[in-house]
Amino acid sequence: MSSVTLVNSLTGLLILTSLLVIEVKRPRWSALMYSLQSIVLVGIFVVLAYAMEAGQLYLWAASAFITKVVLVPWLLYRALSQVGDPEKPRNAMGATLSFFLAAVAVAVSFIVVSQIQLKAAAPFKPALAVSMAHFFFGELCILTQRNLFKQLLGFCLMENGSHLTLALLAYNAPELVEIGIATDAVFGVVMMVVLGNQIYKRLRTLDTSDLSTLKG
Amino acid sequence: MTETTYLTWLLLIPLAFSLAAFAARWLGSVCRVVVETAHLLSVTLVLVISFLTVNAVLDSGQLFGMSHWLHVDALSTIFLLIIGVVGFLVGLYSIGYTRHDLETGEFDNNRFSTYYGLFSLFVFSMLLVVTANNIIMMWVAVEATTLGSAFLVGIYGRHASLEAAWKYIIICTVGVAFGLYGTILVYSDAFNVMQVPGSAVLWTEIVKNTQALDPALIKMAFVFVLIGFGTKAGLFPMHAWLPDAHSEAPSPISAMLSAVLLNCALLVVFRFATISNLVLGPSFAQTLFLIFGTISVAAAAFFMYVQRDLKRLLAYSSMENIGLIVLAFGLGGPAGIFAGLLQAINHSLVKALMFCATGNILIKYHSRNLDQVKGMLQVIPVTGVLIFVGALALVGTPPFNIFVSKFFIITAGLGTGYAWLMILCLLLLTVVFAAFFRVIASALFGEKPDGVGQGESNWLTLLPGAVLILLILALGLYIPPQLMTLLNGASGLALTGTPIEPAALLNAKDFWAPLAHLLP
Repeated sequence: MSSVTLVNSLTGLLILTSLLVIEVKRPRWSALMYSLQSIVLVGIFVVLAYAMEAGQLYLWAASAFITKVVLVPWLLYRALSQVGDPEKPRNAMGATLSFFLAAVAVAVSFIVVSQIQLKAAAPFKPALAVSMAHFFFGELCILTQRNLFKQLLGFCLMENGSHLTLALLAYNAPELVEIGIATDAVFGVVMMVVLGNQIYKRLRTLDTSDLSTLKG
Repeated sequence: MTETTYLTWLLLIPLAFSLAAFAARWLGSVCRVVVETAHLLSVTLVLVISFLTVNAVLDSGQLFGMSHWLHVDALSTIFLLIIGVVGFLVGLYSIGYTRHDLETGEFDNNRFSTYYGLFSLFVFSMLLVVTANNIIMMWVAVEATTLGSAFLVGIYGRHASLEAAWKYIIICTVGVAFGLYGTILVYSDAFNVMQVPGSAVLWTEIVKNTQALDPALIKMAFVFVLIGFGTKAGLFPMHAWLPDAHSEAPSPISAMLSAVLLNCALLVVFRFATISNLVLGPSFAQTLFLIFGTISVAAAAFFMYVQRDLKRLLAYSSMENIGLIVLAFGLGGPAGIFAGLLQAINHSLVKALMFCATGNILIKYHSRNLDQVKGMLQVIPVTGVLIFVGALALVGTPPFNIFVSKFFIITAGLGTGYAWLMILCLLLLTVVFAAFFRVIASALFGEKPDGVGQGESNWLTLLPGAVLILLILALGLYIPPQLMTLLNGASGLALTGTPIEPAALLNAKDFWAPLAHLLP
C-alpha cells in the first residue's frame, strides 16, 4: 500500500471515531474517543510527512499529540469528573437520523471537493472530502447533542477537520500557522470548560434544554 | 512614539491595562480607584492613538507594523475610528454604570476588576481584528473577541445571563470555525501559488497574487467565511446568539457588542470579499451580500415589531442595520460601499447612545419590559430625551446622521438598477419605524409606575450620551472632508484591493444624481 493510499484510508478511521465521539453514552467516554481520534490524526500527519517529505508535518504531529491527544481530552475528562459525568440526555434527533445526515455530509463533501483544481490537492481528494465531512460532523454533534460538554466536543471535531484540511492542502506550511490555530483552539476549549463549570455550579445542569428561557 | 509604532502601542495599551485591572483585585480598598483610573487612561490613550493612526493613514495611505503582520489602510481605519470613539465614550459610561452596580451589591471588588480586565481585553481583541494583516491572526483575533466578551455577557451569573453566554460562545465559536475553514482554504491556495510561507499569510500579499488562485477553492472559501464571520456579525439566519447576548449583557457591553464588535466581524468578511472579487469577479460576493442583507433586514423588521423587551428590540435593530450595510455592499460599485461604510459609522454612534440610555432605564426601573417602563419624561427626563433623539436617528429621520447614510444607500441602489429592491427596503424600514415608535412613545409618555422615584443616576451616565447626540447631529449635517477621503479610499480598497482613482472620487452631490434622473 502506498503512503498516499494509506493517508486516504486512515481518514476513514476518522469517520468511525467521530461517530463514536458523538454516540457513546457517557461524555467522559466521548472525551476518550476524541483522544483516540486525535491519535489517528497524528498518524495521518506522520504518514503524510513521510510521503510528501514535509519535515514541518512531524512538528505538527508532535504539537497535535500534546494538545489533542493529551491536553484537551484531559481537560474535558477532569471537568466532567468534577461534575459527576451525568449520562448524556437523549439526542435532539435519533441516532439513525444522525448517521443518515453524516452520510449526506460525506456525499456532499465528495461532490464539492471534486471541483477543486489545486495541484497539491489531487492525490488526496478522498482524504480532503473526509476532512470537510468531518468538519460537518462536528456541526452535527453540536446540533444533535444536548450536553454542554458534548457540544464542546463537536467544536473539537470541527477543529480536527480544519486541521486535516490545512495539512492536506499546505503540508509545507510553517509550524507557526499550525501552532497559532492549535493554541487558539485549546484556549477556546479552556474558556468553554470554565463557562460550562460555572453553569453547572449555578444551575446544576449540563442539559442545554434547561437553557431555553430566552426566546423571541 | 513614531508612526511605525502606533499599531504596536494601540495593541499594547489595552492589553497592559487589562492585566493591571485583573491584578487590582488584590489592592483592597483602593481597588476601585485604581481600576477606574487605569480604565479611563486606557480608553483615552486608545482614542488618541486611533486619531494619530487615522492622520498617518490620511498622509501615507497605509501603515504596517510588526513585520507586516499588522496593517491599516483607509478601510480598516474607519473601523479603528469606531473602536476609538465608541470605546472611549462607552468606557466613560461604564464608570457611571458600574458605580451603581457597586452600590447595589451586584458587583464586589473581584467582579469589578474582572469586568474592567475583560473590557480592555475585549477592546484589545477588536483592535487586533481591524489591524491584522495576517489572515490566520485575523481569525485568532475574532475568536478572541468571543472568548473575552462571553464572560462579560455572563458576568452577573444569573440563569438568563449564563444561558446567553453559553449560546453566544457556542454559536459564535462554531461560526468562527467556519471562518477558520474558509481562511485555511484561502491560505492553502495562496501558499501553493506563492510558495513563500511568510507572504501567503498576509492579506496585502494575497490580493497582489489573486490571478493564479483556484476559483473553485476561493468560491468555497468565501461561502465558509461569509457564514462564519457573518454569524459573528449577526446576519440572518445565523443571528440566534445576538438578541440573547445583547439583552443579558451589562448595558455598556451591549453597546460595545452592537456598535463595535458586529462591525469588526463585517470588516473580516469585506477583506475576504476583496479576494473573491479579484478571483471570481464582483458578482459572486455581491449576490450573496444582497441575499443575506435583504433577508436580515426583513427578518429583523418583523422581530422588532413583536418585541416588548427594549434591549432585544435594539438587538434586532442592530441586525437590521448590519443587514443594510451588507446589502449596500451588494449593490455594486463604489457608491454602495461608500454608503454602507457611512451607515456602519452612523449606526455605531446611534446604537452606542441607545444602549447607554437603556442602561439608565435599567438603573431606574430595574426592567427592560416596555409594559413596565412608562413615563420616562417625568422620571428620568434627560435619558428620555436621549432615547427620543436616538430613536429618531435610528429610524432615519432628518437631520440626524442615519438619514444621510440610508438616503445614500437608497440612491446607490437606484443608481445601480435595484429600484425594486430599494422599494422593498423602504417598506421594511417603514415596519422598523412603526415598531420603534409604537414602543418608544409608550415608554416616554404614559403614567409612571408606583415606587419609581424621579432623578437620574449620575452625570457620568449622561455625559457620553450628550456627546453622542452632538456627533450624531453633526454627521447628519456635515461629513468632514477627511472622512470623505477615508470613505472613498475604503470603497476602492473593498472593491479591488487598491485605492480608487482620483477622477472617480465620490462626493455627497453624486448621491443626488440617481434621484435627478427619476424626476421629470
